[in-house]
Order: sequence, then structure tokens, then C-alpha cells
Amino acid sequence: MPITILPPKPSRPINNNNNNPSEDDALSDSDSGVDGGDADGDIPMHHPPSKRTRLTTTTTTDATTSIVTPGEQITSDPQWMRGHGTYITPSTTAITSSVAGTITRTNKLLSVRPLRARYTPEVGDLVVGRIVEVQAKRWRVDVGSTQLAALPLSAINLPGGILRKRTETDELQIRTFFAEGDLLVAEVQQLFGDGGAVLHTRSLKYGKLRNGVFVAVSGVGGGGGVVRSRRQVWTMDAANGAGQIDVVLGVNGYVWISRHVETPDAEEGKAGITNMEESVSTTMYSSQNDRIEVETMREIARLRGVVTALVENGLRVDEDMVVRGYHEAVEMAMVSAEGSDDIYLGGEKGQQLAAALTGA
Amino acid sequence: MASSQHVLLSPAELAYLHASLSLTPPIRPDGRSPTQFRPLVAETGILPGTNGSARICFADGTEAIVGVKAEVERTAQRPGEETVFLEEGGAGDDEEEEGEAVDKRKGDASWVEMTVEIPGLRDDDSGTAFLSAMLSEALLADGEFAKRLWINRRFHWKLYLDIILISPPLSYPLPLLSLTTHLALLSTRLPRLKSEGDEDPFFDDDWAAAPYLYPRTPTSVAKPTATTTTTRPPITLLVMAVGNNIIFDPSKEELAVADVALAVSVTSTASSHHIDTDTGHPAAEAGRNLRLLSIRTIDPPSRLTPPAVANAANAAYGASNGAALGTQKMLEARTAETEAVEGVWRAPRGGAKRMVLGALVQKVLERGGVVDEVLDALEGVDLG
Repeated sequence: MPITILPPKPSRPINNNNNNPSEDDALSDSDSGVDGGDADGDIPMHHPPSKRTRLTTTTTTDATTSIVTPGEQITSDPQWMRGHGTYITPSTTAITSSVAGTITRTNKLLSVRPLRARYTPEVGDLVVGRIVEVQAKRWRVDVGSTQLAALPLSAINLPGGILRKRTETDELQIRTFFAEGDLLVAEVQQLFGDGGAVLHTRSLKYGKLRNGVFVAVSGVGGGGGVVRSRRQVWTMDAANGAGQIDVVLGVNGYVWISRHVETPDAEEGKAGITNMEESVSTTMYSSQNDRIEVETMREIARLRGVVTALVENGLRVDEDMVVRGYHEAVEMAMVSAEGSDDIYLGGEKGQQLAAALTGA
Repeated sequence: MASSQHVLLSPAELAYLHASLSLTPPIRPDGRSPTQFRPLVAETGILPGTNGSARICFADGTEAIVGVKAEVERTAQRPGEETVFLEEGGAGDDEEEEGEAVDKRKGDASWVEMTVEIPGLRDDDSGTAFLSAMLSEALLADGEFAKRLWINRRFHWKLYLDIILISPPLSYPLPLLSLTTHLALLSTRLPRLKSEGDEDPFFDDDWAAAPYLYPRTPTSVAKPTATTTTTRPPITLLVMAVGNNIIFDPSKEELAVADVALAVSVTSTASSHHIDTDTGHPAAEAGRNLRLLSIRTIDPPSRLTPPAVANAANAAYGASNGAALGTQKMLEARTAETEAVEGVWRAPRGGAKRMVLGALVQKVLERGGVVDEVLDALEGVDLG
């Protein structure tokens, strides 16, 4: 069947993420704490029922009804405080939404969670970025933020792990390190006042990416997308004899899935801890792919399908979900008619996968 | 020749994509089979003020809306043509010649006006202009479509097709726009004509009685001998080749490594008689009579990508960081540039191979192939 055409279905509830119970708690707490101060009815507020029923209804009824658009007045009651995503029109007390999203209340604080948002960098975030511009002493990197991030020439490791001052020669051959279009994994080192980020790759974990595929899940709303978690990078064993696969989930929603490459010296145990940097960083700026087996390519494509299916069905993307989703996908392929070579996870299959992950 | 928009991909990504798409069978990044399309969500009749409209969206959020509006326009009389006067005898002649009415109907390409709007691009952007030219070319190529707009010798319908891509173009939007236009035209209805002959046209008020622009035939269940396939609006498909693999509906990344990309417009014509008389095979099983309308090459963005540097020529590879050694390596690289190294991206050079082009067109026109199934699926959409 080369094509499937489906009738439109009603949109799914927005911000229906049950992975964030703390916020629901806060909501219900604030509700029981409010004593009828919303007489003007600007905020859809129900009579506080018992806490349990409230928790169950929050995600279904309240979240869908309280979408606000930019410029929409949320309340004119002065008892509320203005939070993220809102502003107060001068010379009034009216709180107005500045983004399209759902209203969140924390005690007396009103904020609006946007449906879609660009990535806001924070110091220490692991990000995957793409070089879009090469300047004299730095690169400009697209990290899915409102502005391009900067990667100074002084913030990268030189090949061979040599530590020295960057000279004019380095500036002249800046494109041998990173050129336009190159993908890299880096860490946010510093933030400018306007929200722009400065990156660095001064670790063996960071650097140019190769041997794999890229998928961007940035800017998605509805509870999907990459969430900050304990581990953003991991190596996992793939099924069907495909060896090991590296997954990098950038906090900015850019994902890299690639074949795991063992550094040759580390394998043999020759490299000591002192010259490890030297041996690893020799391959750091290579843009030549290693030989990749067909099985590995197939499993990489399957993992990419899992990530896309998670996002399309509004689920969060983190290590736990991706690993579970991958095993589920492998099992689904086993029992499918096409056998384990079937890696397609779009449309209905993606929904099946999501249902299997959430229903469990 | 039009270039699809440039995508910024790293050489390592391009090499990986090209390698995985060159395998037999190819492994596409989203796991589809080579002939598989992305799943669509489609509906028709979404704009109440139009004669016909449709909306299609992909799962990735790409979404297009097409509205078709018709208005009556006086046909310009060209010098040399016989001038038409309102005569008593005129209507009588028409009835006599009822059988060969098609012969008399004439169409003109100017009766269809198509505008394509893509967010972020100017109206006179070459890409947009090319898309609209390609879509209207498919519609007008065989001259059959404009004839449907003929009312009488003095008047005709003027059709305005407004094609709007709502989302930013996440992939080359041609197949999406073409399928949406197809659906919108299928759902287009024009008011029923009440007047006769060459009088000023006068239409039935009853919208429910308005006939479809593309008449719908009864399904095969009612009459097994009747042909279920009639003439349909054209569809334009994007087909690309990597190595010897032919891939339908490429995504943006796949298109970025294409050796050849073609936009092929096909239409299905009414089944010829021999299929009906062939008692053993119903028309549906035999597939449609596909007709090739036009072929355009799309300049794949792969040709504009910079080549990767092989490890052997990379100044930043290995422990060598001396400038002298680096330049020496670069010189060596220049001589060795013509050889292909495994795992190193090189933009495809030279034109499309004739064999590949032939195979591409063959694959599209295959009876009971992809196009047939696409048309079947589009037929299944509820025209509300």
C-alpha cells in the first residue's frame, strides 16, 4: 500500500502531558487556595471540588478550554501576578497574554505556557547544532533558538589535543575544523544578556558528528519533544545484530543517531588516561564516514522512526521513552507481516507504538 | 529546470543518506518503502464560498489548501472566427449536432488562472512561479480541461485556482500541492445551466443540482460491465533516483542526495473499449489507462553541496597541525580529488542517465502501479 489517506480527526488535547505531575498538583493546590476571587469570570475557574476529581479533569477539560492567544486579556483583576508569557498593558491592571498557549496558575501567579516555543538556552545544556556561518574567529551555530549561538575558535579542542594560543594560521584554516552545514554536539558555556548562547566543545564527548542521521524535533508543542533529563547521550545495543548505536538528544530538540565508534587505541588498552585526549581527538574533525553495515543502517532508521513517532503522538523524548519505544518497535516488526526488516513507523504504526508505550 | 530549495546538510550526513538510499532495497530515513508516500490527512469542501476546495496535510505538519472559484466570462471573439449572433436557428442546429458536441467546444488556456502562495517566498520567486507553471501545465497540457469550462459559443467559465501552502515548506511541496489541487478539482461543482444554445447563460439556483466538473460515474458494484475509470484531473508526482533505486515522494533530506529528480504529470483517461469487451477482466482489475502529460526535471540541491574532505586530505585530521604539512596535504588532495573514497560525500556530476530517466517514467506509468493506487486512494476521499 503506497499511500494512506485518512479523514481529519479532532485535534488532541493540548499539553496533555502526564509526565509533569508537579504542575497539576500546583494547579489544584492553587485552586483550592483561591477563595472566589475570580468574580469577573475572566479565568475559567470551577468550584473547587475534591482534589482527586480535580486532578483527573485538569488535563482533559481545563487544558483544552483555556487556550489564549497573543493580545487576549486573561484577567483585569489586580489580585493576580503576572508570570511568563504575559504582560500588563500600561495604565491598567489587565494581564494580557503575549503568546498562544494554555494558562498555568501557581498560587497567585498567572503564566501562559506556549504551545510551540523556540529553545531557550541555559548554561550547561548539551545541544546539537549546525554551523550556518563561518566568521573570522568564530562560528555561528543554529541551535533552534531565537538567535544563532556563537562558537569561538578558542572554545574548541585542537586536533591532537594540543594546548596553545590560537594563531592567525588557525584563523585562516578555520574551515578545516568546522564548515557550513557541519553538525556538532556542544555545551552552552555562557549566555549573553539578550539570550544568545556561547558554546564550547572542549571535551572528548563533544565535536563533529558523523556516521548517522539527524532529526529535528524542536519547537513542538503538546507535551512532545526532548525534555531535560539525567542523560542526554547514551550508547545502546541494537537488535538484529546491528552492533551499538549512539543517541544524542540535544536539549534544543535536535537529535543525532549514529553508529557507535570505538576509539582504536582505547580498545587495545594502550592509551593511558593522560594521552587519551590525544588519541581520541585525531578523528575529531573528520567528515568521512566509516563503513556502516546494512543492519546498523536499518536499526538507525528504526530509532529515527521511534523518535518521530514519539513526537507526532505528543510524547516526551528522553532515554527511557526512546529505549522502551525501540524495543517495542522491534517486537512490533517481529510480528508484522513484513518481518523484522519492516522499519516503517509512520501513521497508524506510530500510533500503535505510542499506545503501547502509554497504555502499559 | 528549477532548483528546489537548498538544504544545509553536513557532508557526513549526505554521505550516509546517499549510502543508505543506494542499498538494495534502499533504507529511507523514515523507514518507508521506495514507493510509499507519507500518510496524508485529506478533506474536501472546507471553504463554503468556493465552488470546490480541499485541504491536505502531512503528518509532519505540512499543510496546503486549494480553493477553486468560477465566474462566467464573455469569450473574446477573435477576428477571422465566425461572429456569433443570437439567431432562432442557432438553437436548432445545436440539437441536431448533439452527438458531436465535443467537436464544437473549444477551450483556451487563459480560462484558468492559478496562483501559488508559499509562506516566506515572494509571489514572483522563481520557485513559486515554476511550481505554478508546472501545475497549470499539467492541467492544460492535453487541452481537455479547458473544454469543460465551455458554456456556449459566447460565454465560458473562468476558473481561479488559489493554492496556498499554510506551513513553511518542509519538503519540496510539489506533490502535496498537486494532490490537493486534484482533490479540489474533483470536488468542484458548477451551477447547472438552464439556458440553451448561445443565449446569455442562465443557471439553476439549486446548488444540490449542480453537476460536478468531473462527472462521477456510478461505482462498479452497481454495473460490473460499466467502466469505473473516467477522466480525472492530472496528478504531478515527484520521483527521484539514487543509483538504480527509484524513490517516490522524497522528503527534503532524500531530495538533497538525489542523482535525478523528475516531476511527472499523469492523468487517467477513460478506459478504452477492449477492456470492457474483455469479459474475463473487469475494468478495475485491469487498471487505468494512464497518460503522460508532462515531465520536468527538478534540479536536485545535491549538485550545489560542497564535497567532503577525505581523511587523507584533511589538515585537521590526525595529529598533524602544522601549516606546512596542511598545505602539502591540500595539494595532494587536489590531485586525488577525482577518485571517489568510500564514506566521503561527492556531489553527483554530469546529467541524468538516459536509462535511469526511462526507468523512472516507466515506473510511474506502470499499470496497476503507484499512480493507480494513489488515484484509488484519492477517489476514496469523501467529497462531502
